[in-house]
Amino acid sequence: MRLNRIVTPFSLKCFATGYYGFLCLIVAMCLMPPVAYATHSLVVYSGRAERLIKPVLDVFEHETGIAIRMLTSGSTELVNRLQAEGKRSPADVFITNDVGALERARELHLLRPLAMPEIERVIPPAFRAKDNSWIGLSGRIWVVVYNTHHVKPAEIGSLLDLANSYWKGKIAIPNAASEYLQAGVSVLRAARGDQVALAFLRGIKANAGNEVYGKNRQIVDAVAKGRVDLGIVNHYYIYRHLAKHPNDPIAPLLTDQGDQAMGVVMNAAGIGVMAHSTHLAEAKQLVKFLISKTGQKIFADLNKEYPLNPAVDIDPVLPPRKSFHVAKVPLARLAELREPTMKLIDKVGLR
Amino acid sequence: MPRVHRYRSLSNITLQPEIVSQGFHRQESMSGNTESSILELHQVSCGYSSYQPAICDISFSAQRGDILCLLGPSGCGKTTTLRAIAGFEKISDGEIYLNGKLVASPNRHIPAEERRVGMVFQEYALFPHLRVADNIAFGLQQWSKPARKNRTQTLLNLVGLTGLERRYPHELSGGQQQRVALARALAPQPVILLMDEPFSNLDPDMTVKMRSELCRLLRETHTTTILVTHDHDEAFAMANKVAVLHEGHLVQCDAPETLYHLPSCPFVAEFVGQADFIPGFVENGKISTEIGDFFNYHQYHGQPQVMVMIRPDDLQISQEGTGNGWIAHRQFRGSENLYTIRLPSGHHVHCVEASTHVYEVEKPVALRIIATHTVLFEQTDESDEQRRIIP
Amino acid sequence: MPTLVRRVIPSPLSAVALGIAALIALPLLYVGHSALSVKTAVWERLWTTRIPELLFNTLSLAIGVGLFTFLLGVSIAWLVTRYQFWGCGFWKWAFILPLAIPSYVLAYVYTFLLDTGGPVEQVWQSMAGPDSRIFSPYSFSGALVVLTLNTFPFVYLLARAALQHLNVSFEEAARATGTSQWRIIFHVSLPLLRPALAAGLFLVILYVVSDFGAVSLLRFQTFTYAVYQQITGRFDYSAASALSLLLVVFALIFLIGERWFRRRSRFYQTTGRVRRSVPVPCRFAQTTAITLYFSLIFCGAFALPTFLLAHWTIAAWGNGQISAEFFEYAWNSILLSGSAATLALVIGTPLAYLAWRRPTMLNLFCIQGAYTGYVLPGPVAALALLIIFSQTIPFLYGTILVLIIAYLIHFLPAGLQPIESTFQQITPNFEEAAKSLGVSGLQSFWRITLPLVRGGFLVAWILMFIQSMKELPATLLLRPVGFDTLAVRIWLEASEELYQLAAPPALLIIIMTVPVVFLLSWKNWQVT
Repeated sequence: MRLNRIVTPFSLKCFATGYYGFLCLIVAMCLMPPVAYATHSLVVYSGRAERLIKPVLDVFEHETGIAIRMLTSGSTELVNRLQAEGKRSPADVFITNDVGALERARELHLLRPLAMPEIERVIPPAFRAKDNSWIGLSGRIWVVVYNTHHVKPAEIGSLLDLANSYWKGKIAIPNAASEYLQAGVSVLRAARGDQVALAFLRGIKANAGNEVYGKNRQIVDAVAKGRVDLGIVNHYYIYRHLAKHPNDPIAPLLTDQGDQAMGVVMNAAGIGVMAHSTHLAEAKQLVKFLISKTGQKIFADLNKEYPLNPAVDIDPVLPPRKSFHVAKVPLARLAELREPTMKLIDKVGLR
Repeated sequence: MPRVHRYRSLSNITLQPEIVSQGFHRQESMSGNTESSILELHQVSCGYSSYQPAICDISFSAQRGDILCLLGPSGCGKTTTLRAIAGFEKISDGEIYLNGKLVASPNRHIPAEERRVGMVFQEYALFPHLRVADNIAFGLQQWSKPARKNRTQTLLNLVGLTGLERRYPHELSGGQQQRVALARALAPQPVILLMDEPFSNLDPDMTVKMRSELCRLLRETHTTTILVTHDHDEAFAMANKVAVLHEGHLVQCDAPETLYHLPSCPFVAEFVGQADFIPGFVENGKISTEIGDFFNYHQYHGQPQVMVMIRPDDLQISQEGTGNGWIAHRQFRGSENLYTIRLPSGHHVHCVEASTHVYEVEKPVALRIIATHTVLFEQTDESDEQRRIIP
Repeated sequence: MPTLVRRVIPSPLSAVALGIAALIALPLLYVGHSALSVKTAVWERLWTTRIPELLFNTLSLAIGVGLFTFLLGVSIAWLVTRYQFWGCGFWKWAFILPLAIPSYVLAYVYTFLLDTGGPVEQVWQSMAGPDSRIFSPYSFSGALVVLTLNTFPFVYLLARAALQHLNVSFEEAARATGTSQWRIIFHVSLPLLRPALAAGLFLVILYVVSDFGAVSLLRFQTFTYAVYQQITGRFDYSAASALSLLLVVFALIFLIGERWFRRRSRFYQTTGRVRRSVPVPCRFAQTTAITLYFSLIFCGAFALPTFLLAHWTIAAWGNGQISAEFFEYAWNSILLSGSAATLALVIGTPLAYLAWRRPTMLNLFCIQGAYTGYVLPGPVAALALLIIFSQTIPFLYGTILVLIIAYLIHFLPAGLQPIESTFQQITPNFEEAAKSLGVSGLQSFWRITLPLVRGGFLVAWILMFIQSMKELPATLLLRPVGFDTLAVRIWLEASEELYQLAAPPALLIIIMTVPVVFLLSWKNWQVT
């Protein structure tokens, strides 16, 4: 390129201008998204599947007129994203299926403590953070789903039985990224200690083989089709599946229900408001809606979960609240238990 | 016609020693005359590195209307010289003048686009995305539209491609492409036309035809042309002045006849035609060799041992059946036979005879010298440095 | 006014090119740095637990796919070029079509076909008894079948081109010495094809090693899938970085191998006239056998999946499941891919131009730097950008720019090749001819160079556009709020086994890709 000759006929100048103009336009468009949305709108980061959360939010939108934009992804991934986005994050509200992720978000000072009397009244303290940075909305229990043709309920007493070599090749488990697995193992560690948990993990890894799934629904499907005999899932997947295919030979088995037994592992789906949210009023409205009776009913029933508001009735197909007992590990501890659990899981080398 | 004209002027020069020296004086005087010459090179050196220049100390000039041919084997630097004249290469030494203006020197380099030289590349480099008419008119952007159209039409008529304006280069034959390239180079009325091996991409029969046509065209338009070629037949056919290059140096720049009959060194002698060298001994106004005696035209007095250059047309077979020559090989060439004759000393000479009579191979013959001039070289061991002995 | 002789200074264009190459090579360096700064304990843990399995899986899949694509590709190319039978002309072009199907689309169709209770099993059970099982798609065999059917056209195209240019004189010389037909094939023809085939195989293996879509839907644990899982399932990226580094090393080995063989294949071309072989006509029995074989492969690789997708799309249309959101996703895809392709073209052109006109060490180094994108499979490029942006420029995190940069890094190499080859077709004589006619510099570029390279640029743009449309892992990991592309929708819905919902985007992508695939293979065909 010559430095000292400037031969630029008019057409060339036009071309150059147009070219660079287009370039600037592209770059400008790229930087546009994190721009303020309409005043009455909310951005929700949801670790819960879109199909499960959208109907509730649609009702909310309809009632309040507040538009909602949603980003669905895995809860862990969303926490990473929120952390990286920091103050510039467009998120106003964080909904997850796993309290552990909410706790982690709270530890990273991403959530804002809520001083709302409604929360204190409605949600029991065991199901929310101490400063109310996050609140549980609905409970899910970690159960064993079994194929009624192949397995008798009496064969399984405890979750730990799945590690038995008798079940080799016959079980399906979630993968290591699964928050439920992590929560379940955390509870197991808290209740029974690391050695037991380690043995359990080793056992189920050996027994599951290739039947390691990213989604609970796939585990239920596998059991229903007879590909495996047992699986560990969140309870509601069973009922959702039965609602679609009433004749499939599957049923839930609530483990560890004996007198001295651990009790079922319970996790909760929850919500937290972001510390740097610019739409605080709308966010609080959403929280209020979700803990109200209507909101709770829709939210929980949509997924056949247990509404944490004790005044709300559960779906008739579910086992009644009093019919089983839950492991006595407070939800808030799930996060602090998580890191060592992850180390354990990695040590075993689960996928 | 032009050929006869040249022979007439040459016959004044070659056979008489005085006129030979006249020819040399003409060449020497050319380099001093800067007024009417279109192109002047003064001691030009150019190359990729200063330690190994591609061309070294080249000087020649061309007058208006000259067709000058740069002749030499591949790698001798002729294309580099052409590119230096065109402005694509910078020179490290010397000066180049175009039309009396200094265009290149170590401190000054006028780029190609400002020199108004027309160049025809070896592969023609026709722009494949433009039609013939647009190719030709490419350099005429500064002209007005009607003038451009006019000029394009004129050139198309000149090169004989009327009616092919709307074709694309890939739709033309080799010869047609060459003509378009020529027309394109001539369109902006360049000061000088440069052609790089113009016939190397054509078939042999095409070449002969194109050669005469090109020659006619260049003479009609009085275009000063510099041609680069490695084929001496081409140089002889087209040029009125030939500059022979060897390993980056200019060895001789003369009319073609002078080059052939009076080469300045054995390299030139061998490059432009069949040449044999036999040792000779100068004595008593004659140069005696094993074939016979050559007349000492130039009254050479000096070292008695010399090398005599013999062209095939300098000898004649006088007798067959006897003699000290032995026919080693016969090559039939249509109208003549070229005989390779082995002399008792082991040297070979060539002799051309009409093909109506065939002298058989492996038979002794006697030779007679019919040369009208004698070309002598100093006898040294390094043939490169042999210079012709001139008065 | 006399012009002074130019001194040798680096032009501003060179500086720009250096900057671009550095930016593109930056993620690779970041991954390397991040991986090497991971604690030894993490490395140890990974070596004892995950890496052996991942290594075994990735290698065995690569080798298996390589073997089968070799068999398929070479056999089909051989039959198509050496024999003359009914439908020959159709089959020549038909086998390019499987390249139009993204790997994850093929994978999801096969999860439907091969699943327990799926149609293939039903057919099998009707023949072999009600309890017999075929292999599950969620296994090594499943991944093998899907990836083989998806990538054999690479080998097929290369083998076909090589066979077309194989001088039959070699084989005839062998026959003149009395060698049998089979020996000629194994000792003359195949060895002469070896470099071209090796290049094709390495390309296939590179593709398999970097593939994410198919292996993730089939839940087959390879490096790419593991990296993705680590990124999405962990709060820190150390394990992901470690695995990424290994993946990059893998990819680098195969990339270098492919380059090397491609260079060598040039020397195997004959000088002088090439005589092509005359196809041998086939009898009816042979024609039937060949047609049956071809139909089977073609069905499995293209016809059946496309038919199913069309069927599901029509069903979805009937159910009203194609909503306005579908068009939003399509627009997102087009916008994103278009911007990425344009930007890549703008950035790649100076690099290619400099490497062509001034092939100094610096410029060549720059353009090689741009090719590093080949060794960064989707998840790794995404990881690198996640790390870079979260640590250095967090305010851009979550914007579409990050995604475009990921596409740029990953696809610029693919676009650079047509740009480079286009420039190389323009001899310097054109510019010099223009100079001798008084036209230089920018004018010359505008009037000569640009019209000549337009075609190549268009090809490069289209190529990058299509690749970006199909891209999956980086989009999954980096997309901004609410910005889904067609590829993402397909993957999300296929993971939920919502076949009908995933079909329209898949069909759209295939329809858009088919003409491009033809365009490119036609171009390859033209280039000797």
